[in-house]
Formats: sequence, structure tokens, C-alpha cells
Amino acid sequence: MTNLGFSEEQRDCLQEIINVAMGLASDKLARFLNTFVHLRVPSIALVGASLIPAEFESRYRDTEAALVSQGFFGNEGVRGEAIVLYQMENAHKISALLGYDVGDVSEIEMLTDISSILTTTFLNGLAQQLENSLSYSAPRVLSSTNGDLSGMLKNTSFHWEHALKVDISYQLVDHSFNCDMILLIPGEAVSNIKTILDRILEAY
Amino acid sequence: MALPVLICDDSILARKQVRKSLPESFDAEFQTAANGLEALTILRSQEIGLVFLDLTMPELDGIGVLEAIKAEHIDCFVIVISADIQPEMQKRVMELGALAFIHKPVNEEKLSGILKQYGLI
Repeated sequence: MTNLGFSEEQRDCLQEIINVAMGLASDKLARFLNTFVHLRVPSIALVGASLIPAEFESRYRDTEAALVSQGFFGNEGVRGEAIVLYQMENAHKISALLGYDVGDVSEIEMLTDISSILTTTFLNGLAQQLENSLSYSAPRVLSSTNGDLSGMLKNTSFHWEHALKVDISYQLVDHSFNCDMILLIPGEAVSNIKTILDRILEAY
Repeated sequence: MALPVLICDDSILARKQVRKSLPESFDAEFQTAANGLEALTILRSQEIGLVFLDLTMPELDGIGVLEAIKAEHIDCFVIVISADIQPEMQKRVMELGALAFIHKPVNEEKLSGILKQYGLI
């Protein structure tokens, strides 16, 4: 993880907290899709929010993509925006698994559901371990058929200073499904998180 | 006599959480491993009474460790402490001979019941 001043201990602590939160989210997703999900340790990185559009431009270039964004608010000034990015090719696989027709209008609804399951379960798990509690705004779906994901990301990340990237990769039993989760957070949230991590570390 | 215990997890925090969750009355000698391969090296060369085992780890995961323990008839109790909490994973772990399956993050309450049940405290 690019550290932005995180010590090795703080990084280890955040990674473990994220692993636990991701385990909860994967369990929910597996139940929703009625399948088993192979979990990998998610790789995390903290970067400047302005770097996000360029970072993802190449990965999502020339593909049909969708972005689901949801705001969150908690105590102690913890707030931000969670984004889940999908290649539509991946979304079609999930639609098929759930018995939707490809290109069906309900596919967007399905993406909203999956994103909501992933982000709220993940963030609730995170919040619980950080002894916080969160509320959420309604999810917003932006889809791109002309490859302008970079522009969409630019508009969404513009207001924020930092971004915590969580690279999620799910391997379903006989399909693979990848998506990226990005948490956009303001500058002061980073120092808040550090304080909370130190508090947790002190307890052990 | 102190029980030889191995704590296997790639996270330093998780290893500390296990230590912190054990009651003071638990008389043990601790060793740690940061992945499955390290754990097997210890298990093959020393007598270990109890293993606290994580599942999602680099090099060799917890399932790999359980399979090796079973195949090589290594005599030890294994308590799995996992972030992957899917029922199917739990079933697999128990079939491979684990004593118990605990959801992360571990705490004293979750551990003490199991340790009591098996007469380890």
C-alpha cells in the first residue's frame, strides 16, 4: 500500500480489518447468488483521489462499464463515497447466473443490488470494528457504453482528496467475476483512521 | 505442564488478538507462523497440542494445512479462526477434522466456550 504515512503496524491492522469486512460481504454475496465464492486477500492501496481516473482508465478501456456510487456518513467525521466498478461483461455473467436476460433493464437493478450488498455489508463490518456506525445515501448508477469511464470517475472523485482502493476479485464456482471497490474519503478522515488504528493497536 | 500452541495467521494483529483472547488460566507455550508452509515446518518437527489456524493466507492456505495434517496423521487439535465465514467453508473445515470454526475477529467469549468444552482450560 502506498502509505501516506501509515506505519507497517497500522497497515497490517487496516488490512486485517478489511479482510474481516470483506469476508462478511462475500458471505452475503454468496447467499444472494446462491453459490460459493473463493476469497482472495484483497489488495489495498491509499492514493490521491485525483489519480483515480487515470489508474482505472487502462483497465476499463474499450469495455462497456458501469459504476455504482453510494455515499456514507458516520461519527467522528468519518464520511465518504463508495464506488463499485464493473465491466459489463462480468455483469452479464452474474445476470445469467440469476436468470436475467442479457441487456435486460433489470440488469441495472441487479448491479445496484449487488453493489449495495457489497458496500453496505463491507462498510458496516469496517465500522463495527472501528466502533463507528454508518448511514448511507441511495445508490446511484452510471453506465458507460462509450468507454467514458474516466470522465465519470473524474466527476465523482473531483470533490475528494484521498481514495482507498480495494481490489476485489471473486472466483465463483464455475465463473469468475471481478469488480473494483474504491472508497473516496476526505483528507481529515485519513488522520481519523490513523488515530482509530492506533487505539486498536494499543489494546493488544 | 504448559501446552505447546501454534498461532498461524499472516496478520500480526490477528495473532495478537488470539493471544489477547485467551484466559490467564490458559497455561501454554506459544509459537507463531505467518503462513501455512511455516506452520507445517513446525508441525512436522515438533509436538504441538493445539493450532489456531487462519484460512486465507499466502504460500499455503489453512485448507492446505488441514489436508496435510490429515494426510500425515499429525496429532494436534485445530481451531480455525477465519474471515471467510461461508457455511460451505465451515463444512469443509469441519470435515477435514478441525475442532471448531470461529468467525473473525476472535474474542475471549468466542474462545472460552470451546476451550472449556474440550478441557483445555
